[in-house]
Amino acid sequence: MSTTVTQDMSFLHLITSASVLVQLVMLILMLISLSSWWFIFRKLFVIRYEIKKTDDFEDIFWRGVDLNALHQRIISSRYESGSLERIFAAGFGEFTKHPAGTDLEAVMESTRRAMRATYQREMDYLESHLSFLATVGSVSPYIGLFGTVWGIMNSFRSLSSVTQATIAHVAPGIAEALIATAMGLFAAIPAVVAYNRYASRTDQLATRFESFMEELSNVLQRRAAE
Amino acid sequence: MSSSDPRNFPHSEPRSLLAGVLAVLVHVLFIAFLIFGVSWKDHPPEGMVVDIWTELPKPIQAPPKQSKPVQEPVKPEPEPSKPEPVKPEPPKPEPPKPEPVKPAPPKAAVTPPVKKPDIAMKEKPEPVKEKPDLEAQKKKEQEQERIKEQERLKELEKQKELEKKKELEKKKELEKQKELEKQKELEKQKELAKQKEVEKQKALEKQKELQKQKEQELAAQRQREQEAKAQREAEAQRAAQQAAAKNQVTNEIGKYKALILAKIRSRIVMPPDLPGNPVAEFSVTLLPGGDILDVKLSKSSGHSSFDSAVERAIFLSKPLPLPPDPGLFNEFRNLNIKVHYHE
Repeated sequence: MSTTVTQDMSFLHLITSASVLVQLVMLILMLISLSSWWFIFRKLFVIRYEIKKTDDFEDIFWRGVDLNALHQRIISSRYESGSLERIFAAGFGEFTKHPAGTDLEAVMESTRRAMRATYQREMDYLESHLSFLATVGSVSPYIGLFGTVWGIMNSFRSLSSVTQATIAHVAPGIAEALIATAMGLFAAIPAVVAYNRYASRTDQLATRFESFMEELSNVLQRRAAE
Repeated sequence: MSSSDPRNFPHSEPRSLLAGVLAVLVHVLFIAFLIFGVSWKDHPPEGMVVDIWTELPKPIQAPPKQSKPVQEPVKPEPEPSKPEPVKPEPPKPEPPKPEPVKPAPPKAAVTPPVKKPDIAMKEKPEPVKEKPDLEAQKKKEQEQERIKEQERLKELEKQKELEKKKELEKKKELEKQKELEKQKELEKQKELAKQKEVEKQKALEKQKELQKQKEQELAAQRQREQEAKAQREAEAQRAAQQAAAKNQVTNEIGKYKALILAKIRSRIVMPPDLPGNPVAEFSVTLLPGGDILDVKLSKSSGHSSFDSAVERAIFLSKPLPLPPDPGLFNEFRNLNIKVHYHE
């Protein structure tokens, strides 16, 4: 908080000359921003992959292939399977485990339960880290604001010893403090955008999964009745 | 059982490492943009510079005029240099001249062998003359002598002619040599003259260069003097302006203080019949715009009726008249107002 008239106002100088707490806030925001961008890209790839897998599986399923063969194929290539394939594998596996003479209602009930469990697990996987993005989007502006308020407080406190106050005394302090807000916003804005986008995408996927589950139970019930 | 256990289906998350790399890349780009893209204010604008430039338009226009004459003498420089390559050309014909001079000495060497045969001819006739014969033979001898004499005469004449020829040849040779010498001398003189001319030209060029340098120095000095003059004038102008501004400021302040006092005086309801000429002093704190923030009695007149009358008048006379220039407000922030009972 020097009070000379000619100030080095370069970005790096502003950061290095900030007070320790503001620097700490900047460091935290930097880490938050880094991890939030990491999750943004991870979720982007995951959701894209799931949507593609779901499209492919629905294509194959409604073309009317043999369900046993489809099940066997999914089991054998389980490392490349999508969420919907896993739901199908769980439901069909549970359905075929029951011996032939069992009550149809009970078979369908346990099949639905198995699919529901897998569905929950898959949704949990798809929605993981989305809450982190939401937290970053809502909290990081406040963290940045805290750093800024602290920096401006310091820069005004340094005015108390000066008889004639000019804007040049406060300006560098405020500038370096405002960098914290800027960093907070830089972390928050993409996180909020990504959260909203990914939440709607996972919702779409969830609807598709649920309707597929209902349709699969119908298909299986018809098959058992035959 | 285990193969169909749904928990055995691992989630193969695609490209999580790539995501990390991309995240770091985004930040690197953002920081690079902040550091290099945004033009952070490194130097605050210096207001003084603007003042100087607005006051010095004329001296700035003048220097280019002076600089032109400085450039003009520089241009003629290639012109004197053009004759220089011309000078070396005349010396070129010189070398061919000495070449014909060299063949001349061999000619002189050829002439001496011509003399030797002449001497041999002289010796042979002499033994013929010494033979003693009879009287009969005397006539013959006489005739012979005559003939001999004639021959001698002829020979003498021949010899003379030869000698003359020799002499002529010698003379010619001498003349040739002299001519050659003269030519050599002339050439030497020419060379000397040329050298002198070259030296003169060199000296002239040096003089020209010196003159140019002097002119340039003079021009530079003139420029400096003019700049200095312009600076002095500008400084004088500035000083005069500042003095004028100060005068104006003091005038303004005085004027408005008088106006304030007059306005307050006009609002005083004077208490009647006070003895003497009591003086009340108030310190008034003003707000920008002429509003009154605070009025304190700093020195009482001794008559509370007069003090309170003045205080009321001060409050009544708000807004106080203030100069339109807000820069002068500092002079009016804390006013000391002295009010006399009698003017």
